[in-house]
Amino acid sequence: MSTRISPPPTAGPGSAAAFFAGTTFDARPARACHGLVRRMPEGLTADRIAERLAAAQESGALPADLRLWVEDVATAAADPASEALRVREASRATRHDGRLRAVLLSYADGVVDLVLVAHRRAADSAGLDLVGRILAGAADDTERLTLPGDLPRHTAADAAPPAWGMGDPRRTGVTGAVRIGPVAIAPQSAAPVLLAATALLLARYADRDRTVGLLAVDRADRDRFAAVDLPVDDGTPLVDLVRHAENALASAAPVSADRPVPAVGIVVLSEQDEGYRPFLELPFPVTFTWDPRRDGTHVGRLDYDEAALHPEAAEQLARHVGRLTALVGAKPDDAFGDRTPVSGDVELMTDEERAALLDLGRPQPAPLRPATTVHAAFARRAAERPGATALSDATRELTYAQLDEAATRMSAALAERGAGPGTFVGVCMDRDTDLVVTLLAVLKTGAAYVPMDPRYPVERLRYTTEDAGLRLVVTTLDEFPAADGVTAVHPGALTGSTAATPAPADDPDAPAYVIYTSGSTGKPKGVVVPHRNVGALMAATTEDMRLGPDDVWTLFHSSSFDFSVWEIWGCLLTGGHLVVVPYWVSRSPEEFHALLVQRRVTVLSQTPSAFASLRDVHLNQQQSLALRLVVFGGEPLDVRSLELWFRREPHDRCRLVNMFGITETTVHVTTSTVTPVEVAAGSRSVGTALPGWTLSVRDARGRVQPLGVPGEIYVGGAGVADRYLNRPELTAERFVDDRLTGERAYRSGDLGRLRPGGRLDHLGRIDDQVKVRGFRIELGEIRSVLLDDPTVSAGAVVLNQGDGDAAGVRLDAYVVLRPSGSVAEVRRRLREVLPEHMVPATLTAVPGIPLTVNGKVDRAKLPEPDQLPAAEAATGAAPAAEEGAPAQEGLADVVLRAWRATLGPEVGPDDDFFDLGGNSLLAVRLSAALRREGLQSVPLRDLYLQPTAARLAEHLTARQAAEAGTGRP
Amino acid sequence: MRLSQKTALVTGAARGLGRACALRFAEEGADLVLLDVAADIADVPYPLGTPDQLEATARLCRERGASVLAARADVRQQKDVDAVVADALDRFGRIDVLVNNAGIAAPSGKAVHEITEDEWGVMLDVDLSGAWRTIKAVVPSMAKQRSGSIVNISSTAGLVGYRYFAGYVAAKHGLIGLTRAAALDYAALQIRVNALCPGQVREEPTLEGRMLSEVARSLGVAPEDQETAFLESQPMNALVNPEDVSSAALWLASDDARQVTGSVVTVDGGFSTR
Ligand SMILES: NC(=O)c1ccc[n+]([C@@H]2O[C@H](COP(=O)([O-])OP(=O)(O)OC[C@H]3O[C@@H](n4cnc5c(N)ncnc54)[C@H](O)[C@@H]3O)[C@@H](O)[C@H]2O)c1
Repeated sequence: MSTRISPPPTAGPGSAAAFFAGTTFDARPARACHGLVRRMPEGLTADRIAERLAAAQESGALPADLRLWVEDVATAAADPASEALRVREASRATRHDGRLRAVLLSYADGVVDLVLVAHRRAADSAGLDLVGRILAGAADDTERLTLPGDLPRHTAADAAPPAWGMGDPRRTGVTGAVRIGPVAIAPQSAAPVLLAATALLLARYADRDRTVGLLAVDRADRDRFAAVDLPVDDGTPLVDLVRHAENALASAAPVSADRPVPAVGIVVLSEQDEGYRPFLELPFPVTFTWDPRRDGTHVGRLDYDEAALHPEAAEQLARHVGRLTALVGAKPDDAFGDRTPVSGDVELMTDEERAALLDLGRPQPAPLRPATTVHAAFARRAAERPGATALSDATRELTYAQLDEAATRMSAALAERGAGPGTFVGVCMDRDTDLVVTLLAVLKTGAAYVPMDPRYPVERLRYTTEDAGLRLVVTTLDEFPAADGVTAVHPGALTGSTAATPAPADDPDAPAYVIYTSGSTGKPKGVVVPHRNVGALMAATTEDMRLGPDDVWTLFHSSSFDFSVWEIWGCLLTGGHLVVVPYWVSRSPEEFHALLVQRRVTVLSQTPSAFASLRDVHLNQQQSLALRLVVFGGEPLDVRSLELWFRREPHDRCRLVNMFGITETTVHVTTSTVTPVEVAAGSRSVGTALPGWTLSVRDARGRVQPLGVPGEIYVGGAGVADRYLNRPELTAERFVDDRLTGERAYRSGDLGRLRPGGRLDHLGRIDDQVKVRGFRIELGEIRSVLLDDPTVSAGAVVLNQGDGDAAGVRLDAYVVLRPSGSVAEVRRRLREVLPEHMVPATLTAVPGIPLTVNGKVDRAKLPEPDQLPAAEAATGAAPAAEEGAPAQEGLADVVLRAWRATLGPEVGPDDDFFDLGGNSLLAVRLSAALRREGLQSVPLRDLYLQPTAARLAEHLTARQAAEAGTGRP
Repeated sequence: MRLSQKTALVTGAARGLGRACALRFAEEGADLVLLDVAADIADVPYPLGTPDQLEATARLCRERGASVLAARADVRQQKDVDAVVADALDRFGRIDVLVNNAGIAAPSGKAVHEITEDEWGVMLDVDLSGAWRTIKAVVPSMAKQRSGSIVNISSTAGLVGYRYFAGYVAAKHGLIGLTRAAALDYAALQIRVNALCPGQVREEPTLEGRMLSEVARSLGVAPEDQETAFLESQPMNALVNPEDVSSAALWLASDDARQVTGSVVTVDGGFSTR
């Protein structure tokens, strides 16, 4: 691809562009052409044929302007060089104005072939046949070549390539071919059977676009490219399929210029059509051509453009189409006995195919390491390098020996209070060194820890305590919500025990921790993860990431989020130094960046959205980071956000690894190193399974999905958790014995697709998949299109059930607009990209997307959608700014204006930041808005402590007064 | 095969460098349109190509697997050139490459003031205006395709002066100017236009070329002496071979040169750098 530096000449007078303004670019003249190769009767020389032509022109049977080109071929007819020439001649499009071309190939051995090629406007297939017969002397005198009627154009744009094809847009125009069959089909029903099989395949591949292109030569109207819609879903009885196909064929609509050419199409030839080439260039990006053979079978050929299909996807597709065609073409009872089979019953794959796909999701064998407990593994590190720094925060630093000793001492005190094997101990503490000591101490007693964020609402803390049946909670909260039989103890009270330390329990299968997750439905549930899983996670990553004693890690995340498991034990089990990041620092990208610089952190774990803020800070600063590894987790990574980062930090100095994971499978599942190559490709891949982990993609019935076809991600292997605590039904539903692999697997509820090479694309949550007016829609897909809009900084799409009646179901979209954005513009761009049924019914600008504690969209806090189209004119600009500043503007007004610009025009001085949907990102934005208003930088901590505009204004007034008093600027 | 699925039109294809290019293109998979006057021209004091030579080039191309359309036309006649191009589009559907090779080396051998109106006229008409006419004829179809490569065979005489060859030198200089201007006119349409400047080319019997001997004759020397005289001024101490020229033409014609337009490629063993 070339980059244009200066603009192309405009179509001004005298320019070449003006000269050729009338010559439209026609990239695919061959698509509208068809051809015929006919061997001439023996002894018929080129001269004789020319005489025939003259006579036919004389009589008016053939047009006077038809020319006959004679090509003397240096080789005999059967020579490969002649064959190459023949193919070349028959695939040569006519010139742009579309005529009929007749070429005689006169071979060295006297054999003569007639090659006819015509634009469909110049001759239809019957016309080609007639010209061939006239020149061969096989027509009767009354036949005349007539111009075909008004034929549709075949130059319309292609439909979007199928998502399951995994094609590479950079390979546009590169074609491949795969053979299919032979398959037995009764000849008179070939077209409906092939159509039915193709539609069935698209349904099973869950393609959004089910239109099949068709060029059926055995139909009366054999020159018309048709677009056929044949509705098939999983419940369609197979017996009805062919009949439906017959009906659909009868009402097929011709492909016209205003309708894109379907991405997938079939061409059905008839037996009389030897030598006929219905197209010279793929009529559809994915084209099946079926040729009847004398023995009653059909052989198929899949021709494809690599922009639409990955070659491996093409091989797979050819196999599946072959199978489905045989199945649909056979009498139904042959394949299914006396059941009435429906489309969903059809098995796409053979056992070998399935086994190969399962192997793809199991890339390397699990490394052999004896299973161990977390605290035993820690004890080994402590014994190896007792004097090395293990843990620090702003005020304190502990060596491995000191940490071990402190935890051992505390474990005795905990044991005294009942902690021990088989028990669960709650830990509800802010992030500091004590937290880590406490977690290790709990493990040393043989108990499992149940982390709780002290910032959670009281209700949530009480719920967790009760649900987990906790008896003992270590907490720094003064008032831990009281519950019957629960002892809350301050960690400070656990230091002075003189009791004997309990003998270390060392059962790798015992639970190490219970972390609560909330699904999109239902109450939070505790995931019980055994020690051996943490060991397996370290075995899977240590070598690849070269984790070791020189590394400095951060503990950035709440202990109630399992990313912290990776941070704490990833560091301490590989001998690194864990720097605890206090809560306030973790909320401020500036302060956190300063900490990374100062503590020379080498291994950083971040969610992509937190990293985005950090990146912005870093790019505006000169200080260099010691980072050598960044691990992304917790939410989908949009690699495009890393482009600027790579300009500053080359990927060979600091490696970026994207990991998809789930609490139920021990933090991580897959790993994918992101380099500028992935960024340029806009890759959505989360990579391959970790060694020891396995993954596969399944349909609703648990069957393995073909490559490229979306389905539910199943995770098996070393990371699968024990169970949901006290939830046997839910456990049975999600942690299943996989009959296909014989192992235990976790059904993630996440949607994914497997790519060649075993790489996984993560496509969002299955709950995100909704049905609107019969269309299956991925909300995530719409959201991603929203976010592609440069004027949109955040967005959410939700399903609105209306008043219960199916017609009222609609999609509502919410966007946070950048100052330059407008709802109308965003909507216009959505319309350009999305099919009609995916364009949300309403689009509403909001100051921020409210999130739940777990970082998911909080639907309850979203406002009523704006009614359309009145709202289309609304913009995200702060209306307060338009009102004009009052003459005597006080600090309170300025602060309120910044609040309104960030959180919405209705905000009052006493509205609480968090009630308004405030979160850390909005806090950063608010802080920026305050700076723009000319206020001094407001630490984020102040925003959290003064959560209303009025209180913040008061606080700032007090601060200004204090500073004036001390004479500071 | 660097020109597979492409059609190339070569002018002056009956013999010499035109034939060399045609054969080379055929080997690389191209189909060929061969254009030549295949007749003598008044005022040109030596025999030009013949119908037999044109037919021989066609046969040699077919032996290399090409389909061929051979046509007689004089590049001095726009309507003759147009007719060949129209036939070529009927026959092959498209023209991807045009090599403007037809050219004459004489009448020459006179100082500027001695050249007659007719001598001057025929030289510019063939060597410069001929290329302009074929470009006019092929460009509309190339514009529709949004692709095309035009190679103008100029000469070292397009870069430096030669004594007693003013008409030839002026025409070949002019051809480079035409190349540069056309490159700009058509860049936006993805049509590339380049000039190729061969030095003195060795005469190879199978190609039946006449240029070297005609230059020698115009100067009144024996061809062997002319060759020796040239060798002495060649930094690489060898005359250019026809395949050196056809290789360069192939490169300019092919997609390998997709970013090359308006350039002047010399294949002269270093002659013009002295
Ligand atoms: N041979 C060299 O040393 C040399 C060096 C530099 C440049 N060139 C250039 O290369 C080109 C080919 O040279 P060559 O050595 O093959 O010459 P050549 O004389 O052997 O062949 C030239 C061909 O062009 C044809 N021709 C001449 N006038 C024509 C016209 N008006 N219309 C159509 N066809 C016409 C002739 O019939 C002949 O077949 C010429 O443009 C020449 O100026 C040649």
